[in-house]
Amino acid sequence: MLFWIYIIILSILTVFVMIELFSEKQWKKQIAFVMILIPFILRILQIK
Amino acid sequence: MQKHHYTAILFLVATAVMAFIASKDFLKMYEHDKVFPSEALTKTGMLSDYLPNLKGSNGDTEVYFFDSGVQGGTTLVLGGTHPNEPSGYLTAVVLMENIKVTQGKVIVIPQACRSGFTCTDPMEALPLGYYLKSKSGDRYFSFGSRVSNWLDQWPDPEVYTHYPSGQKLSGFETRNLNRAYPGKAKGTLTERVAYAIVELIKKEKVDVAFDLHEAAPEIPIIKAIVVHEKAKDIGAMAVLNLEFEDLKYALEISPQNFRGLSHREWGDSTEVFPFLMETSNPIQGRLRGRTNADLIINGVDNNYKIALESGKLRIEYDPEGEPLSVRVARHLQGIHAVVEAFNGFYPERQIVYENVPSYSDIEANGLEVYLQ
Repeated sequence: MLFWIYIIILSILTVFVMIELFSEKQWKKQIAFVMILIPFILRILQIK
Repeated sequence: MQKHHYTAILFLVATAVMAFIASKDFLKMYEHDKVFPSEALTKTGMLSDYLPNLKGSNGDTEVYFFDSGVQGGTTLVLGGTHPNEPSGYLTAVVLMENIKVTQGKVIVIPQACRSGFTCTDPMEALPLGYYLKSKSGDRYFSFGSRVSNWLDQWPDPEVYTHYPSGQKLSGFETRNLNRAYPGKAKGTLTERVAYAIVELIKKEKVDVAFDLHEAAPEIPIIKAIVVHEKAKDIGAMAVLNLEFEDLKYALEISPQNFRGLSHREWGDSTEVFPFLMETSNPIQGRLRGRTNADLIINGVDNNYKIALESGKLRIEYDPEGEPLSVRVARHLQGIHAVVEAFNGFYPERQIVYENVPSYSDIEANGLEVYLQ
């Protein structure tokens, strides 16, 4: 059960990061957001 | 859409591509390495045969049986308890790919902690595997984590409480197979794997069991054989025999108050004589420099060499390195010496096998000719 709570929290955080990514106007800061997204996506998909 | 929306989409696409590439590498770790058991193989089972709730899980692993059909004793060889200690895994592979059993039975589990082979330890920059030359060309062998995959057992507690002793260790150790014995039938994945191995030892009436390990060069128990106190005579005889071969081993008696380890719990829970053997593995060392497949295979690390030359290294370290072939050869010779000693003490339960390379065979020919 805790595992799925973790995955849900991670999914919500991923959505927030993506919202921030689209509202950010500086491309250098956008790169920082996508760097965060890679491990988030791999963990949600339970690959890593 | 504004300009920054286009760059966001572009970066998202780039993220998807990078995640896809990374996924391919990570998912490759779930593929099983190919092994080629010798013609002496009589049965291939699964660990879940001894605990059905392991079936289909990432903890289930192959168990290979080599039964001579001649009445005698039974030995179990466990490799890959810690998948970041490759000589244990490779020793089990070399053994099962060459062995001919003439009396008794030999059981081999090359990847005891199967889950640990599907990931590596974070923040260590470890390779996912390595290639070794073999008779059939280059063969890939997985390198993994010291513990079960976090994805199979989450979350780690702050403090790990060992079952049934109540001993407390750091939370990380909850996924360490060699802190989980005698295990728990309805416990965590790691506890269930430990339980199944103990059940195997009981049901197959194993007489002598080996748990093959490695440790960082600075750990005092490298080049040691750790024995349960009931097996100390066999261990002492084996160490003496190894001395005749110019191989130095320290004989360590399993501490009675350090729970969860194979050499303690197997001996306490079953009739088996347990032996844990260690070799020196620079890729686990804290002083190590470049961390790659070469370090696994050749065991040459410049940082250890510099430390040795400075006179500040107070451990035994060969500046020429600690090659994987030598570490495997030590384990194979150690197993042979212990089995010979057991046969001397218990002639009515002899375990006799042949065609497994000795230390000097591997020293002369390398590992290549013994990998199919």
